[in-house]
Amino acid sequence: MIVLLDIVTTAAILFVVASGLLAIFGVLKIINFAHGAWLTLGGYCAVVTTALGLNPWTALPLAFVAGALLGAITEMVIVRPLYRRPLDAILATWGLGIVIGQLITLWFGRDVQFTPNLLSGTVDLFGASYSIYRLFTIAAALIIGCAFAFLLEGTRLGLSTRAVIMNETLARALGIDVARVRLITFMIGTGLTGLAGVLLTPLTSVDPNMGVGWLIGAFMLVMVAGSSFAALAFACLIFGGAQVMVSTFVSPILGGITVAVLCALVLRVSPKGFSRG
Amino acid sequence: MVSRLLLLTLSTALATGALADEAPIKIGIPVGLSGANSVVAPSVVQSAELAVEEINAAGGVLGRKLELEIADDASGAAGAQKAFDALVFQKEVNAIITMETSAARNAGLPIISKGDIPFIYTSFYEGRSCNPNLFVNAWVPEQQVPPVVDHFMKSEKAKKFFLVGSDYAFGRGMLQFSRAYIEKAGGEVVGEEYLPMEGTDWTAIISKLKSSGAEALITSTAGGSPNVTLTKQLRGAGVTLPYGNLAVDEGTAKSMGADAAGIFISASYVTSIDSQANKDFLAAMGKKFAGELRTPNDLSVPQYEGVYLYKAAVEKAGSTDTKAVLAALAEVSFTGPRGPVTMNKQHHAPLTMYLGQVQEDGSVKIAGTFENVDPGEQCPGL
Repeated sequence: MIVLLDIVTTAAILFVVASGLLAIFGVLKIINFAHGAWLTLGGYCAVVTTALGLNPWTALPLAFVAGALLGAITEMVIVRPLYRRPLDAILATWGLGIVIGQLITLWFGRDVQFTPNLLSGTVDLFGASYSIYRLFTIAAALIIGCAFAFLLEGTRLGLSTRAVIMNETLARALGIDVARVRLITFMIGTGLTGLAGVLLTPLTSVDPNMGVGWLIGAFMLVMVAGSSFAALAFACLIFGGAQVMVSTFVSPILGGITVAVLCALVLRVSPKGFSRG
Repeated sequence: MVSRLLLLTLSTALATGALADEAPIKIGIPVGLSGANSVVAPSVVQSAELAVEEINAAGGVLGRKLELEIADDASGAAGAQKAFDALVFQKEVNAIITMETSAARNAGLPIISKGDIPFIYTSFYEGRSCNPNLFVNAWVPEQQVPPVVDHFMKSEKAKKFFLVGSDYAFGRGMLQFSRAYIEKAGGEVVGEEYLPMEGTDWTAIISKLKSSGAEALITSTAGGSPNVTLTKQLRGAGVTLPYGNLAVDEGTAKSMGADAAGIFISASYVTSIDSQANKDFLAAMGKKFAGELRTPNDLSVPQYEGVYLYKAAVEKAGSTDTKAVLAALAEVSFTGPRGPVTMNKQHHAPLTMYLGQVQEDGSVKIAGTFENVDPGEQCPGL
């Protein structure tokens, strides 16, 4: 039973971490390799709210806003000229990630920072105690997933976005402001990633490299998921589940590379991954 | 004329001789000012600076001043080769005294042998690094692990231990020794698990720990981030077992806040050691560095004492001659903040070890003192 909970919560955490990357990749076909830096940025928003003596939960909106604003600047200055050169965009965002990491180091130092837990304690489930916060991540993943589904399916912006995904030239011909859709999508993606950074703080140490470890896993999952949030959720469950199973029954060292290896295998067999598009 | 020339030569020789005697004794410190060790390196440099200042104020060593030459080794092997090479052959230092990663130490040792100067290593490490020029005044697993295991078995009545570590030489070495020691003492190891150093997800290991029936937990992760991540996830999962952390230092414990409360640490130095030497040392550090002060720790204090041990050895040898100093290093003793230290056990030192428990406010309370813990058979060939 505990293994099942481990699987679902691990999948939820992976989903939260990867969703911002997926939002950007799905619409813009740009791989944001500065994703790890935005996670770190979110973590440091939690550090800042702690230093200001605010309620730890206020870090969530703060990280979303900070991530989105920085994302807006990045989109306008760095990413915008590179939509037709996705490989250059990888290099540019990778470099940006290094720059952000160094700026954070300059400002806050290399040391591990302290942030209070959002939720602490355990709850008894199926005869064993389980971390409340890990259970909460399931709710967080569901909220993010549902919010995206609503945004894409139920709003004008979502309609324009889907039009841009399907046929950008046609969308532009129909009078859709493609540049604006891109900007907003990028901001939502980076804002969400900042938010994910805050959600990670109770699980990892907050230091200038905190996001780096999550980048490759998130990247592989998004490659498999394509542009669909449902596919991402599915991929997180399958690969997160495999990671937990391998860690539990074989070796945690192999568990750490399970997601990357399985995603690579899936992409080898089916280049489109799990997406039908 | 001949006699005048002779006199002139003689006086020149005397003058240079006198000059050579007054030239400072140079101590090289290759240290990780950048890279993984950069968190701790400034505190190491500070304590060396205090030692040199104190010694020079009291007249130096054999009438000569001490001088520090500091080089960044970037916390790794490649940087260490450059740093050692520059210090030994360009700066021509008389001795190297420093803490470094094991990789950096191993990279530097051949250069030490080639340049043939004394090397005092001031960092705790996995043990069994043997070289005629190398002396170690910090702890090895044989000294750090027993206080934790003994305490858990006696005071907490724990028999079943679970071991968790980062997958690298130091992490595995420490836990390998822990396992052997626990089994020898009549305990049982019910689980031993590792995660790569950059791993962030301890979920499966924690679930195994919880279902293993373990009565005590000992961890040896890489310092800093993996340690904090593991502790956060352990606390999040509600693990309240007696928890000995072989990789946490006082400073990290403080930054972990409430999550660190209750953790047992084992060290040869904690700031709360109740001795006059420690109080004087802390006061002097506070006075010299004020707002810039990095909290003295289990890596920086051996550095301070290392400089004094070298001073004692040079004074006993009567010169900085390598052979004489090396012979003296095995005999001289210095009583510093950690208590008396003599590197007389196969180039290693018996040490007083402190078992500390982290309190709610991040301070470390001494829960047990273990005097004169022997480093065991480190270098039987020396």
